[in-house]
Amino acid sequence: MAAPEQLPPRVGSALDELRATIDRAAELAREIEARPQTGDLSARLADVESDREELSTKLAEYEQQVGRLMNLYVATYQLHATLDPSEVQATIAEIAINLLGAERFVLLFWKNDARDSSGECEIAFAQGMEEDKTGLFPNGIYGGGDPAVDATLADGVLRIGPLDGSQALACVPLTVQGATVGALVILKLFDHKARLRAEDRDLLDLIAAHAASALFAARVYSNTDRKLKTLESLVALVRRQ
Amino acid sequence: MKTKKVLVVDDSKLLHRMFEMMLRGFPLVHAFDGREALDRLAEHKDVELILLDINMPRMNGLEFLTAVKAHPEFARIPVVIITTEGTEDDTERGMQAGAAAYVKKPFRNEELLGVINRLTASPAA
Repeated sequence: MAAPEQLPPRVGSALDELRATIDRAAELAREIEARPQTGDLSARLADVESDREELSTKLAEYEQQVGRLMNLYVATYQLHATLDPSEVQATIAEIAINLLGAERFVLLFWKNDARDSSGECEIAFAQGMEEDKTGLFPNGIYGGGDPAVDATLADGVLRIGPLDGSQALACVPLTVQGATVGALVILKLFDHKARLRAEDRDLLDLIAAHAASALFAARVYSNTDRKLKTLESLVALVRRQ
Repeated sequence: MKTKKVLVVDDSKLLHRMFEMMLRGFPLVHAFDGREALDRLAEHKDVELILLDINMPRMNGLEFLTAVKAHPEFARIPVVIITTEGTEDDTERGMQAGAAAYVKKPFRNEELLGVINRLTASPAA
């Protein structure tokens, strides 16, 4: 058998090339073995994607929560930003329209201690009532008749519909120092808002807690201010005489 | 980065307060009806977005929008209608009058912010 060095030059060169290729292939195989497994990489990628989705969901939830808190803050701020009773009423209406989506509603207050006498409430503010067909709110007065409204005025509990036998979608008690002085009755939402949402409950609670006290404080201030001005006029008149 | 000035036109003080909170990065100009809004636009020619209510005293939102779109200097400003008028006809009327977007009240804050970010995210920003 012929020795390798006796092989023709072309064959020797081909053998050298083959050996180099085999060495390179072995080196590549070692590199691939040293790398993390493709399966591991896929699993890690899946974990990262899952984490990203979870974070994205959480971010959306936090954004919604921030939006809800912002609504509550702005509503509270605006309710207490004035001592003018008509402005407080306007703010309650703006909350009902712009933040709750109420198209038809009334703001009721007991007439001077009517709870013990006539049992009538006056309508301090009404929106969209020209289309109301219930007949329960004639001439700026509510004399009773809707079971949910009557119950809320009596026990000061927030009720959210649908309510048996009631036209109201929500009856929000207005309380001052634990006493119910009136109610916000929501009768219809805008057509593009199908129903009150879970987060609306926070706003309704806020109205129950803050609206009446803001209005009460504004009315007290307004009355006191009027009396003070009358007294000042009298004093000025007496001094001139 | 240049911050874009936003004109808020709404007769509700509550909404103005809300936009102040939501759009802290944007300088705001306030108006409570369409006529006042035209005056504000004349004073602030660098307004780059308008948030517009429809139901307002003196001059309503659609009248204001028509006036803006007929004005050579202001016609380029994108207008977002934000209103309780929520029927398809209302939306179509607003968009035909030249609104860039139509948002119904009550809105979710993130929904409105998405619209505003889209309209203010031009290369010139």
